[in-house]
Amino acid sequence: MRPSVLARGVTGLYLLAFFGFLFGPLFIMVVTALNSSSFPRISPWDCLTFEWFVKLAGDERLHSGLLNSLAIGIIVVILSVSLGLAGALFLARLGPTSRAVVYTVITAPILIPGVVLGISTLIFWDRAAQLVGLGTGSLFYNGIFLTVLGQASFISSYCMLVLIARLQRFDNGQIEAALDLGATNVQAFRRILLPFLKPAIISAAIIAFLASFENYNTTVFTISHLHTFTTIISQKVRLGIDPSISAVAFIIIVLTLIGAMFYEGAHKRAELKKARELPVGNLLRSLFGRNPAMIMGVMVVVATVAGIWLAMGHSAEQCKADLLEQKLERQRQLEERYRQSQPAGGAGEPGTAPASQGLGAGTFGNVFDPKNLEGQAGVGEQGEGAPGAPAEKPGQSTFGNVFDPKNLEGQAGVDGQEETPPAAEEDQQ
Amino acid sequence: MGIAATVRKFIATNGLGMALFMVLGVSFWVLVLVVLPQITMVDFSFRPKLPPAAIGGPQDVYTTANYEYFVKGNPGNPEGWNRVDVTVFWRTLVAAVFVTVFNFVLCYPVAYYMAKVATGSWARLLALSLVVPYWINEILRAFAFRIIFGDAGLINTVLKTLGVIDVSIDFIRADVALYAGLGYAYILLMIFPLYSAIESLDKNQIEAARDMGSPWWRIHWRIVMPFAKQGIVSGCTMVFMLSAGALAAPQILGGPSSLWFTQIIYQGFFEYFNWNRGAAYAIILLVSCMAIVLGVTKLVGGKAGEIGR
Repeated sequence: MRPSVLARGVTGLYLLAFFGFLFGPLFIMVVTALNSSSFPRISPWDCLTFEWFVKLAGDERLHSGLLNSLAIGIIVVILSVSLGLAGALFLARLGPTSRAVVYTVITAPILIPGVVLGISTLIFWDRAAQLVGLGTGSLFYNGIFLTVLGQASFISSYCMLVLIARLQRFDNGQIEAALDLGATNVQAFRRILLPFLKPAIISAAIIAFLASFENYNTTVFTISHLHTFTTIISQKVRLGIDPSISAVAFIIIVLTLIGAMFYEGAHKRAELKKARELPVGNLLRSLFGRNPAMIMGVMVVVATVAGIWLAMGHSAEQCKADLLEQKLERQRQLEERYRQSQPAGGAGEPGTAPASQGLGAGTFGNVFDPKNLEGQAGVGEQGEGAPGAPAEKPGQSTFGNVFDPKNLEGQAGVDGQEETPPAAEEDQQ
Repeated sequence: MGIAATVRKFIATNGLGMALFMVLGVSFWVLVLVVLPQITMVDFSFRPKLPPAAIGGPQDVYTTANYEYFVKGNPGNPEGWNRVDVTVFWRTLVAAVFVTVFNFVLCYPVAYYMAKVATGSWARLLALSLVVPYWINEILRAFAFRIIFGDAGLINTVLKTLGVIDVSIDFIRADVALYAGLGYAYILLMIFPLYSAIESLDKNQIEAARDMGSPWWRIHWRIVMPFAKQGIVSGCTMVFMLSAGALAAPQILGGPSSLWFTQIIYQGFFEYFNWNRGAAYAIILLVSCMAIVLGVTKLVGGKAGEIGR
């Protein structure tokens, strides 16, 4: 069977397009973290900057959310792996009929929408608290407690599936032999079954942690007034997008790639060990030996380091000042042209009149209003004073003063979006 | 064999400690984490919204008012039916079906390629490349699509620079961003069931069909797809359930005028503080999704119990 050149070409193109779809969005998001423009974008490029990382580092709310997420993640890992293990062992000891029933019940949470799990957990513990007469300050209303239980209900199912896959390959004769030789059940479990299951337990723990960390649908209902990393990120995105979220993505993606590299390295190492083709070299060698994933990962890391090195010799402030100067220059030209095309001294001219009344950052409040979007003028253009728009559209007085030089001097035009009031949240709903 | 004897035998074969661990663990999980909360939610959805003091009082009676509200809306509603909620519900289901079909069409060739064509470290690299995006937070993945499809996003900027369009295309309002984002989010959950089902197909069957002159599309239609039916059912079920129950992507990528049903549930909880109605809506979503999944599974002759395996 030899596919034709055409078939292979089509396959190659399809794969390219598919993985482009898979990685393109992530790549674009990561790159926007380095652009100084206050709207995350890749083109036009303003200045290379790290200010969004600095902004992240100073974000107290995000830090406390991160701590909550880590705490929840660790408890969920312990709880879910234990429950998943109990489930997997229990299933292995059941007859075929009862096994099918129990299997359906404990895998069902995977298919139940997260929203439903969150709501049912919230309501159940609310009822339970009222039944035993606990107040709203009690454990049953604690966001972390509820979130752990809500998440564990379905993450345990993931763990169970991972564990049962390995358990199916276990030879029960080993346990029987140990018991015949006088081991207790607990000893046999601890000395034989647990070591056999160890790789699966590690995978289950990793999956459980990641699932807990990134969970939103269940958590948003159970966390009550507290926050996790994910709910904070979600709030930020809905309130108005700015590149500090891209910076979060940047960090997570780099961590993920490093994690994937080491995972792949460990796998390779284990494979080599098993095959005994070669004496097992050091970790480094198994990391790089004929491993395309690794080479890709290294390229990403090298590119990042190169980017950072470039940025060290590059002054973002200088670049921004230059850019501002260009915008001001452009603005002056446009104003000049506009003045020439209009009778001199016309009152109520958009662009100059409202700005002279000294409206501050509040004028940007409606930048994210969907009605603006209907107006077909880009968010980015409005917020950042991209050159080109005002002269052609003098009627859009809402944005007119964005282009006012005074605003730009005060940097309000560039940074104004950060102060965007939370009005956008309702609009998103 | 009586229950007492079964229990005794279970303890004898596993030891008391292990038996307790298994039974307590599974009961806690099944009862406290899954079944009792669901039952409480069902119970709660059939009760009126009451202040805490009145709960358990004479007003606390079973009622179908929350479900009636979904169909009819407020009593004085001139339209006679709850236009907003029913429309959103219907659109959510249709859109979820659309996302599922889109995902299947997108992923089937890749799954087949990975299972039957790619080999060795190349296949591993492909598998790893699929998993890596899935590790990135759901919110951030949606955010990435916001950057691409936004009014001043990448696509609009590129098209404008090329002179194809003068004014931005509103992808958010047209829900293009939402569908793309949802499809993207669940690629992995579609590919892996497909992959593992196709992988177990004997390659000789494909070659035999080819030798006898079957064109490639008929090989897929008559051999690969029927063989991988269970994997297709699993993948489609997961993607359908997750897209219908998605909350983050619609909140971030949904247009200002279009809602997802989960957003209505969310509003019921956090804007109207009507937990009872929120619970009723959650049950409507759960039951109708389950019904659709079971119905379609039966229609194509798959086994519902095998989903997720």
